[in-house]
Amino acid sequence: MITLKNVSCKMSGKQILDGITATFNKGEIWGIIGPPGCGKSMLMKLICGLYPVTDGDLYIESENIAGMSEVRLVPVRRKIGMLFQNNALFDFMNVWENVAFPLSRMNSGLSPEEIRLKAFERLKAVGLGGSEEKMPSELSGGMRKRVGVARAIITEPPVIIYDEPTAGLDPVTTSKIYDLLNEIQSRSQSVVLTISSDIIGLRSFVKNILFINEGKILYCGPEQEIDHCTDPVVYQFLRGLDEGPL
Amino acid sequence: MTGKLYEMTANLGGFVTGIFAAALSLFSIAMRTFRGVFRFRGRAQGEVLKQMYLIGNRSLIFVTVTLGALGMVLVFQVCLQINKITGDQSQVGPEFIKGMIHAFVPILTAMMLATRVGAGIAAETGSMVVTEQIDALRMTGVDPVDFILVPRFIASVVMTFVLGVYAMVIVIVAGAFMAHSSFGVNYNVFFVFDKVTGGDLFIGSLKLIVHGGAIPIVAGYCGLTTGRGSEGVGNATTRAVINSSLAVIIIDFIISGVGLLTVQKI
Repeated sequence: MITLKNVSCKMSGKQILDGITATFNKGEIWGIIGPPGCGKSMLMKLICGLYPVTDGDLYIESENIAGMSEVRLVPVRRKIGMLFQNNALFDFMNVWENVAFPLSRMNSGLSPEEIRLKAFERLKAVGLGGSEEKMPSELSGGMRKRVGVARAIITEPPVIIYDEPTAGLDPVTTSKIYDLLNEIQSRSQSVVLTISSDIIGLRSFVKNILFINEGKILYCGPEQEIDHCTDPVVYQFLRGLDEGPL
Repeated sequence: MTGKLYEMTANLGGFVTGIFAAALSLFSIAMRTFRGVFRFRGRAQGEVLKQMYLIGNRSLIFVTVTLGALGMVLVFQVCLQINKITGDQSQVGPEFIKGMIHAFVPILTAMMLATRVGAGIAAETGSMVVTEQIDALRMTGVDPVDFILVPRFIASVVMTFVLGVYAMVIVIVAGAFMAHSSFGVNYNVFFVFDKVTGGDLFIGSLKLIVHGGAIPIVAGYCGLTTGRGSEGVGNATTRAVINSSLAVIIIDFIISGVGLLTVQKI
């Protein structure tokens, strides 16, 4: 589904990602972890085609998006639903318009009324029934995350990316958000890539983990086996130790 | 010594490359905006009307006060100097009207809009970049230039022209009032439009339209290339005001020069 072959990315002369090789298959749930500034979000943005790949090949389904023009990237991006780190809700639209926006921009064959109803239905599914007409500024952090999730999944994309889905949320809301993501995943069977600093919460949700440090992969494999990883960076990061290379 | 020379050459090279890249990026945004205008077909009419209100209506008092005051000061000073030399005030009105129409009003209106509208566009676009709303737009297959800049471009072109015409009326009326009240110049003597040629009207109108288009493009470019955080938005806003004012001055200079060599009579 998503294949990265020796993918590198440089920005302003700085190497952000270096020789990333990984494959994410249909139905798999991946957690992308690593210290701050290690290149996790950049990797997600490369997959979305929001930043150019400097070197290597990046396949979404069978299409190599490395070096693809902005126009040719449009249909590729429509295969991906993304929850941004800061939710990125359009502040000039109300809640249901935000959720309906991706659907209204693709040739879904739905009428405006059908799109509106689908947005309402998705909002109800994420527990936001009754908040459709509110503006994003009127919502709490958890509610905004839910709107972001509803917007990411409304087109039922084969790839879903959650960038910090629980950042800044209390433990109860965090647990509810992960339950929601699990429920969505059980229905959609999409490839799910999740970045999170909340390692415990993330490990309860994902099946596989990709650990990145300084733009390089240190671990790529099943979630249960990462505890046996002998890399000192992974060891220190997972256990939250003061002493170590980080 | 060699090391310093190498560093200086590298810095100069980086500076030139940076300018070239910025010019290329600005050109690309301008082209995408023009293309967007032709593809527009009224699908975001509501947004254009909203922007027209924000650009036009909200600038009315600003333009009225500034240009009204400027018209009065200019006429007062001119009449004062003429009084000292010949005392013949009969040519003040016609020359003032001509100068205002083809030169002063277009550039002054545009400069005022560059500060108010340019800053607004850069701040809005810059905040959208910082909060990843621009990336979210791109994820849905929407070109941010098409979605954000095109309605502002259309609104700015229309409203800069409308405000410019309104400003011409204000500045001329204010000037006539000053000439009449302070120096006793008859309104019939002041309001003589014989010196205004078709060329003056054409150049004045052309300047208003081009300035109106340049402001959102330059400001949009500054907004879309915003750096990180609120500091980045602040810098983008400052750059938008400076660069769009500079763009207006340069464009005005070029159109004035071409106008004087072609359609205008001095």
